[in-house]
Amino acid sequence: MSAALGPKLVEVSDLSLAYLHEDRPLQVLFGVTFSIAPGEVLGLVGESGCGKSTVAYQLLGYRPPSARVLSGSVRLSGVDLLTLSRAELDRLRGNRIALIPQNPASALSPGMRVGRQVAEVLTAHRRASGGSAPKARAAELFEAVGLPEPRRIGRRYPHELSGGQQQRVAIAMALACGPDLLVLDEPTTGLDVTTQQQIVALLAELRRRKRMAMLYVTHDLGLLAQIADRVGVMYAGRMVEVAPTGILFSQPRHPYTRGLIASIPQIRPGERLGKRLRGLLQRDELPPGCPFQPRCDFAEAACAAELQVLEEAAPGHEVACRRWRALAPPAAVPATLRAEPTEAAPLTPLLALDSLVVTYRAAGSVFAKPVAAVRGVTLAIERGETLALVGESGSGKSTVARAISGLLRPSAGQIRFGGEPLAGLLRHRPRELRRIIQYVFQNPDASLNPRMRVGSILARPLEVFFDAAGADLRGRIARALDDVRLDESYAERYPDQLSGGERQRVAIARAVVAKPALLLCDEVLSALDVSVQANILDLLKRLRAEHHLSMLFISHDLAVVREIADRIAVLFRGELCQVGPSRVVFQAPMHPYTHALLMAAPSGPAAIARPVEAGEPGPLRPASGQGCPYAGRCAWQAGAICEREPPPWLEAGNGNRIRCHLSLSELEARALWRAEPRQVEGAIRPAEGRATP
Amino acid sequence: MTLIRLIGGRILLSLLTLLIVSALIFWILEVLPGDVASRIMGRDATPETLALLRAKLHLNDPAITRYLRWLGGMATGDFGTALTSSRPIVQILEPRIFNTVLLAGYAFLLYLPMALIPALIQAVRRDRPTDHALSAVTLVLLSMPDFLIATLLLVTFVVTVPLLPAISLVDQSSTALEYFRAMTLPAVTLAVVMAVYAVRMLRDNLIEVLSSDYVRMAELKGLSRRKVLLRHALPNALVPTLNITALNLAYLIGGVVVVEKVFSYPGFGSLLVDSLQLRDLPLIEATVLIAAAVYIAANLLADIGAILLNPRLRAS
Amino acid sequence: MTLSAAPGLTQARLPSWRRILRRAPVSFHIGAAILIVHAAVAVLGPWLAPYGISQMGTGIPLSGMSWAHPFGVDQLGRDIFSRVIHGSHIVLLLALSGTGLGVAIGSVIGLLSGYVGGWIDNIVQRLLEAVISIPFLVLALLAIAAAGPQLAGSPLLVVLVVALVYAPRVARMARAAAIEIATRDFVTVARLRGEGAWSVMRREILPNASSVLLVEFALRAGYAPVLIGSLGFLGFGMRPPTPEWGLMMAENRALIIISPITVIGPGLALASLVVGLNLFTDGLARLIGRTAPRNQA
Repeated sequence: MSAALGPKLVEVSDLSLAYLHEDRPLQVLFGVTFSIAPGEVLGLVGESGCGKSTVAYQLLGYRPPSARVLSGSVRLSGVDLLTLSRAELDRLRGNRIALIPQNPASALSPGMRVGRQVAEVLTAHRRASGGSAPKARAAELFEAVGLPEPRRIGRRYPHELSGGQQQRVAIAMALACGPDLLVLDEPTTGLDVTTQQQIVALLAELRRRKRMAMLYVTHDLGLLAQIADRVGVMYAGRMVEVAPTGILFSQPRHPYTRGLIASIPQIRPGERLGKRLRGLLQRDELPPGCPFQPRCDFAEAACAAELQVLEEAAPGHEVACRRWRALAPPAAVPATLRAEPTEAAPLTPLLALDSLVVTYRAAGSVFAKPVAAVRGVTLAIERGETLALVGESGSGKSTVARAISGLLRPSAGQIRFGGEPLAGLLRHRPRELRRIIQYVFQNPDASLNPRMRVGSILARPLEVFFDAAGADLRGRIARALDDVRLDESYAERYPDQLSGGERQRVAIARAVVAKPALLLCDEVLSALDVSVQANILDLLKRLRAEHHLSMLFISHDLAVVREIADRIAVLFRGELCQVGPSRVVFQAPMHPYTHALLMAAPSGPAAIARPVEAGEPGPLRPASGQGCPYAGRCAWQAGAICEREPPPWLEAGNGNRIRCHLSLSELEARALWRAEPRQVEGAIRPAEGRATP
Repeated sequence: MTLIRLIGGRILLSLLTLLIVSALIFWILEVLPGDVASRIMGRDATPETLALLRAKLHLNDPAITRYLRWLGGMATGDFGTALTSSRPIVQILEPRIFNTVLLAGYAFLLYLPMALIPALIQAVRRDRPTDHALSAVTLVLLSMPDFLIATLLLVTFVVTVPLLPAISLVDQSSTALEYFRAMTLPAVTLAVVMAVYAVRMLRDNLIEVLSSDYVRMAELKGLSRRKVLLRHALPNALVPTLNITALNLAYLIGGVVVVEKVFSYPGFGSLLVDSLQLRDLPLIEATVLIAAAVYIAANLLADIGAILLNPRLRAS
Repeated sequence: MTLSAAPGLTQARLPSWRRILRRAPVSFHIGAAILIVHAAVAVLGPWLAPYGISQMGTGIPLSGMSWAHPFGVDQLGRDIFSRVIHGSHIVLLLALSGTGLGVAIGSVIGLLSGYVGGWIDNIVQRLLEAVISIPFLVLALLAIAAAGPQLAGSPLLVVLVVALVYAPRVARMARAAAIEIATRDFVTVARLRGEGAWSVMRREILPNASSVLLVEFALRAGYAPVLIGSLGFLGFGMRPPTPEWGLMMAENRALIIISPITVIGPGLALASLVVGLNLFTDGLARLIGRTAPRNQA
């Protein structure tokens, strides 16, 4: 759908804004201009710090006290929101413009029942008079957003609801007065991938029915393919490209947009177009002209000096780059899929888990019943192999890693290393075994001691494991930094002087410097920006090859896992659902949960129709220990047998094993997800796409 | 966990703490000094007087027995007999506790507006001149010891402008008005000290609430400033306020000691000091234990209040 | 006054001297200035004071403020202003050493207990709660009563009592800090290397807790003069004729109606010291908070 002609609902023109920070003003928006037609969905995408959230809040007329508008206007149906008084804004907010917040857990008042929080929007804008009418209307809204027990859920407090339910409440609150415009500030960050998919599907459905306009802010480009009509790309506070969604993905003109699209990890092979982004945004080193010039592969000298403005490259497609005409369409980069390991598999695997069971008690209470985080997991990692553990939060994947590393004691079952049983707890293991298994954590901010210089951080394992000292020690530190492509001078720096990606490199260097045989990577990319993720992934692959490492790679992101793992194991609530080589795991037949994960994963322009699956993840039921762990949430559930009996292992060939009561042929038939990509023109309409090619 | 179990657990914990405190007090006063009798009587007591004292206080019994006997007595209401006056301690305590409770209540009533109003003003006018000015005043007052504030008040309202009595001696025969006049200066002193202590924390707390996500969300729903403040900000600010109030009650118990002494107000605090000066062992033990018990009870009430007010804490 | 164990404080690095002078808030500078004045008076006072400690007959007893006697003259004819000057080092030394000792003991107990955890930590926590349940002043008086006649009136007793009162509260803060720091992954990394508890405490936990402990020290030091003054005022501190400020206020209180300045003078001196300490502490906490790292993407 091309941009609608006629009066726009929202017109932002030349918006510039700065924050007064201590003494110096920090400008965050530079002449941002865009518009939204009635009923249109505009996506706003960019790295963290690009100013997209700031723009979104201007549509609500909201500025923190330290912000100053330097120029421009934000018009809603012709009225400039920046000039309105608080009382006038109060009339508009929640009424004609509504916000769906990033973090519903903190955006809902903790001491007020959710029903009341929705009702007060209705009363404030006179959509329902007093008495029971607001509560009844709130219940209707809860039903419309798919909350269970809509009449009774209003009496709950926010903390009693799951993340997905909280966000649905926020959506209900936003819809209460039938706004013309919805502003969504990264509404699905922090939610599980399947929940994320359900929320996005809900939004798409509501949008279709109610014809609301939306400004959808996100850093996840892939998500926008499902819901946005047009997409605006921002970089360093400037709008650099605006285009209809399909065209943006298929014919990106701005070098930054190209890099962004290329950095999205793909589940399907052979899809990457163009080179990934390199480098990082350094705010203090921006040239006066185009801010992207330092990182741009196509930049000329003049780019740094000339200010770029949005030009029309095609009807409805604007680009802020003086070289857009000269840029050739991006070339397809062959996907670097993991080659088959050439060594013949030796007889004893490097690491073997045998019916591993790990339980722990809920923190703080002596009386709570123990929870089995991991139950009956049997896995093996061969030398030189990378095994991925995939699952959502609560699946037990971190627990497995902690048990392997010796932080948690197995309650039952055995862990064997090189054929020999491994002592459960760290203190019973000899130094060699502690050295040979190394752990890299998710959050680089927490895994480095802020009071230690990088050099000392790297020195510790060398001192402890190799008794290194003096010049030898310094030499090894320098080599370790070089290994992760950090300059020698980094040894003198403190972690807070490094960016997130650099810190993660140091954390990886620290693990690799101990010369381990097995590397445990626990969601090591999840805390990083998309463009940085790609670089760290490449780093890991290179180190793995150079140092002959085996890896246990834990992630919830299937696309990342596809690139780096030889074999993939899928976990749900502590039990294995499927194990197999990464080539085959993503092909039918597959476990229903694997299928749900694939369907929920955003994958950019090749999105196909995805019917939302039943089974909203509710609060964790205590693990009954009987039957299939996925029963009750499974869209393909066979029947009562799933709740009663544990499912058997099915051999699907090629080393692929699936644990399900259904037969392989049934699993094959039901799978909707296909591995081959399909190019779709224009905007994606979930309701219109067809399921099978 | 259900509410009852949660609250019950807290109560048990408090009782445990009280038990440990009692043991601590007993240990400090009767075990640690070694020879208690000579400690009480002083350096120049004769051996005969010492022996008499030991017999009277059963000091020759093993420590455990004495402790349990004392503890049992305190628990059942038999607080023993004062050494110096030979009166039952309960009799001595009653009027004193009554006076102090009155004083504390009066001080508390004065303290609440003294603390809340500046904190609210400061939170709403954050980082503006009013905020800085109030912070400066608070800091200066905070730095003055309570006996200095008491003295200044005394000088102002007794010497310079003779409104109130210098000495607040009251007894059963005093009228309500005399009580009121006698209590005012000590109460104001206590109120000022508590208020300046609390204002800073209340201000920080209110600022945190005012800049929280949910207050911002409430504003962005289109609620007026008043509704946002009253329905979303203040209720959520209440819980930490309770905590601060409990801390103030704790101060109060220590603070009355000095303030009552300055104004010669016959309350619990001055009793404590007197008993220490007279080295009246049973009286000291009883008063210190009661002081600790009141503090523990105040904390317990604050905890329970927090649980009841904050639905999040009720979830296990 | 208590500060919660804000995670920001446990993440901040102590800034270098230049950074301190450049980025410190106003309160820090004013507080430091006041403290320097007090320190100067404490050191140089005895030479600069117009009269001696117990010099009598310096003026008309109980005469009020005058240029010759800014704080008046007490009933024994001693110049209060000079006595205040002579006594300034007392409060300063007692406050700093008492607080220092209390913070040192409390830190060790708190950090160890918080890191080790388990049933040891449980017991320590119960004990700490119990001692903290006894209000400041009451505990101090109790300790003095228990100390006996030999120590009574000696500066050592005051120092020990201040340390005793502060140690449990500091321990509680240190424990909270240790617990918070121990949850962070770099501590887990150290444990995975097999480092013992002592090594982890020294290298990983203590450096990160030092900001918290420094602020605790400053905070407690700010209140210590008040505590010492209260003890002196009640007569449980040092003995006459020591020119301890609290004691002096009590001594002259009987005739306050005639010559209030003799009481208020030492009181203001005490208050000014505390103002300086509080401002300094406030500025220090904010300065350290500002150097806490801002998370980058």
